[in-house]
Amino acid sequence: MRIVVLMKPVPDPASAGERLGPDGRLDRASVPAVVNGNDEYALEAGLKLTEAFGGDVTLLAMAPSVAPETMRKALAMGAARGTLVTDPALGGSCTVSTARVLSAALATLEFDLVLAGVDTSDGQAGVVAPGVAALAGLPLLSYAAKIEPDAAAGTVRVRRITPTGYDVLEAPLPVLISCTQALGEPRYPSLKGIMAARSKEITTLSLADLGLDGSTVGGAVSTTRLVGSRMPAARAATRIVREAPDDAARQVVAFLVERRLI
Amino acid sequence: MAGDIWVIGESAADHSLARISTEVATLGRSLAGASGHTVTGVVIGASPAAAAADLARYLPRVLAISEPTLADHASGTILAERLAGLIATHQPQVVLIGAGPDGRDLAGALSALTGLGVLANATAVTWADDGPLAEHSVFGGKLLTQSALTSGHGIVTVRPNVVTAEAAPTLGSVETVAPTGDATLPRVTIVERIAAAQAVAPIEEARIIVSGGRGVGGPDGFTLVGDLATALGGAVGATRAAVDSGWVAYGQQIGQTGKIVKPALYLALGISGAIQHKVGMQTSETIVAINRDPDAPIAEFADMFVVGDLFEVGSALLAELRARPG
Amino acid sequence: MSAPDAPGPLAYRLTEGQRDLRDAVRVLADERVAPRAAEIDRTSEFPWDLKQLLAEQDILALPFPVEHGGLGGELLSVCLAIEQLSRACATTGLILAVQELGALPILLAGTPDQQARWFPRLASGEQLIAFALTEPEAGSDVSAVHTKAVRDGDDYVITGSKRFISQGSVADLLTVFAVTEPEAPRHRRLSAFVVELPTPGFAVARLEHKMGIRGSPTAELTFDAVRVPAANRIGAEGDGFDLAMRTLDRSRPGIAAQAVGIAQGALEAATAYAKQRRQFGQRIGDFQQVGAMLADMDAQTEAARQLLYKACTEIEAGAPDAGRWSAMCKLVAGDTAMRVTTDAVQVLGGYGYIDEFPVERMMRDAKITQLYEGTQQIQRLVLARALLGKGS
Repeated sequence: MRIVVLMKPVPDPASAGERLGPDGRLDRASVPAVVNGNDEYALEAGLKLTEAFGGDVTLLAMAPSVAPETMRKALAMGAARGTLVTDPALGGSCTVSTARVLSAALATLEFDLVLAGVDTSDGQAGVVAPGVAALAGLPLLSYAAKIEPDAAAGTVRVRRITPTGYDVLEAPLPVLISCTQALGEPRYPSLKGIMAARSKEITTLSLADLGLDGSTVGGAVSTTRLVGSRMPAARAATRIVREAPDDAARQVVAFLVERRLI
Repeated sequence: MAGDIWVIGESAADHSLARISTEVATLGRSLAGASGHTVTGVVIGASPAAAAADLARYLPRVLAISEPTLADHASGTILAERLAGLIATHQPQVVLIGAGPDGRDLAGALSALTGLGVLANATAVTWADDGPLAEHSVFGGKLLTQSALTSGHGIVTVRPNVVTAEAAPTLGSVETVAPTGDATLPRVTIVERIAAAQAVAPIEEARIIVSGGRGVGGPDGFTLVGDLATALGGAVGATRAAVDSGWVAYGQQIGQTGKIVKPALYLALGISGAIQHKVGMQTSETIVAINRDPDAPIAEFADMFVVGDLFEVGSALLAELRARPG
Repeated sequence: MSAPDAPGPLAYRLTEGQRDLRDAVRVLADERVAPRAAEIDRTSEFPWDLKQLLAEQDILALPFPVEHGGLGGELLSVCLAIEQLSRACATTGLILAVQELGALPILLAGTPDQQARWFPRLASGEQLIAFALTEPEAGSDVSAVHTKAVRDGDDYVITGSKRFISQGSVADLLTVFAVTEPEAPRHRRLSAFVVELPTPGFAVARLEHKMGIRGSPTAELTFDAVRVPAANRIGAEGDGFDLAMRTLDRSRPGIAAQAVGIAQGALEAATAYAKQRRQFGQRIGDFQQVGAMLADMDAQTEAARQLLYKACTEIEAGAPDAGRWSAMCKLVAGDTAMRVTTDAVQVLGGYGYIDEFPVERMMRDAKITQLYEGTQQIQRLVLARALLGKGS
């Protein structure tokens, strides 16, 4: 089973040091980059599938040229190789450009499954994976909690999380699946995996390599623009309650009544 | 309808209108008022009549489009293709979609097919410079940014619970429209729809959420969380640590990799308030936390912080709530 | 102008590979080991789950040659891993340190056949090995070992007892030092053997109740006519004392790494506390007396760490004074760990003295690094002798 996992290096959500640069974009020097959390679930799911059905995992990312370091972490988990689309013209790209570039890059790869996280921790848009599926003409099986390929039939079934339970989806391969945490915890890279990752190949592609240029994708043709930013209004000071449980409970009830919550 | 604001009405599995769409419709009406544009609802479904009628309570005009394949196929791609056809014909300026899973799938596919940009996951939308201006919470809530569509045209997805749904004073009209647009992208069959074993209220829609973290200690501890939720008429939420430990279902996880909620009351039991959880609940209107650790980060952004054992305080609170009349 | 073969300003740093390895172990230590540390200390139970984790992540493969499934045995890499693990839990760091210690005699003097017999399952973490040298009457004075190994046909028969054997009760293999030539000069009496467990005549007589590293079982072992094939003897008869000394020269940096890790853990806990604890209306870290303590703790820990890293590279390079480097880094790191953890308790005040915070455990754990693999006094003896030469 040939699997492509879409991954994005994102500022570490736990670092708490993010800030905007003078250009209104994230100042990437201010925070360490990590593999987007939901992409790690996609990668873990992909690795488990290759363990069960054979084949291997190729990573695909569109990111600044500093991204190979982050991609190495994903290679250390067990992906076989990586493709990185990087081009100065891509700085400040919107989700439309990202979907176009990723679908163009997918056309250079061979695969049965494309896996992606349902969204990224920085943008939280959740629109790139369905966009790539639409442009690449792939069936979209989204919000996966379970992935069950039927190699003989050439199909895959996915449990899609819904507000009331789940739907069982089915489509013929190849497909694009957007992945959730319900697929299972990502593994830690083993030390041998880390050492092996150092010699794994990362192919770098420019826009020209994909037959694209800055007139159709990238920052210059971004469909959205940042207008401004502000600090959120500070919350009023916290009321601290240190009394014994019964007294504390009465104070909570009084507070809820005061705020018309009960 | 050029320059129109469109609101996409999503059908729930029982063909009724999804709650998120009532919020988005209310927002659409207020943007129409601010911009002087008209606002139109669009419902595409296997049986769109019920949802369209619901949506007409919020909007002056609703288009209902019957698409039988939606009965047993995943919706995102199909809706996107049909809408792309309608958009090509009618040229609306803005398409508003709820930022739930179905809405995000639709917005992504629609954006790719039309080339329209997406202002995603807006926490507030206003009208400025002849286009929508969307506000986003970024960097774990430390900053709010405002973004616009470069051309003034495009798609906006709106987070659940950021608008209070309010019906229009007058009922709108429903027009039945024939489907247009391509239907060439591959379809995904729904083989089976399964209802979750424990039918819990979707936490994104709950007015009150009682949530437990690692400090709750185990599935037994969540009995107290559930009892408090019942007593308050709310839903049960949890941190990732509690979900990963298998104490609570994934659907109830709040935070970075779970759901983002904004209830009127968020009661946090044994939750430290680490950034990954904070981003999912910090915009709750009122936050009350019970935690043994007086230095837990949640103390900095809760409205009320009770220093104490969550079981002792929680049990006392449950008794107080149950003793209340009515 | 620099010489043509000058290593350049970046050579005196960890390599990218070493940094990757250290960071990976650090993540594992933070996410998987640290949450278990207090419980391991409280229950005094050997953390089999964490031993399994170290095996799965190839951490136990670090000390072994690549051809036997290991990661090459480079000393600094082993120490980086021990340091990071010990930062979260000294007991867990010791699992790797003891695996290396027990295997070192085989690494230094074992035949290719012996290495091929035992290393693959040690590198995979399937088996653990311990180092059995110390006896009730032979602590610092290694040559006073009483346990005997008597040749009997193709076997040796081992009789005696060993004490203070780290992980002696959980190991699958033991490297045992016993007297084969009672009449030989003091330093030619001992030989080393690998004992495969379980085996008739071997027993764990008791486990010690310890001040620290409580999850790491410290065993008293008895050998009642335990038969070991002659093929299990490591090195020649009479080489045991020299082999034990060469082993300790290479293993002491592991204990220094454990000490540096403990100190770093205590520094981080104390710093976090000083940042958020408020008294008299300000963070306690902003009081100069507290800030100065933290500054000293940081500087001392870093100094010990740099000496350790330097010692590792010198020993790896085959420096003739390896024993000096080894003794010096353990001496400095052990004393640093004790001082820094004690100060960490002080920074936390009353909270430092109770088990709600990890620093009291770290202080108890730190003490052992001044005691085992040669007390600090023995390290000073080694250093003094290196300076002065042996007296007559």
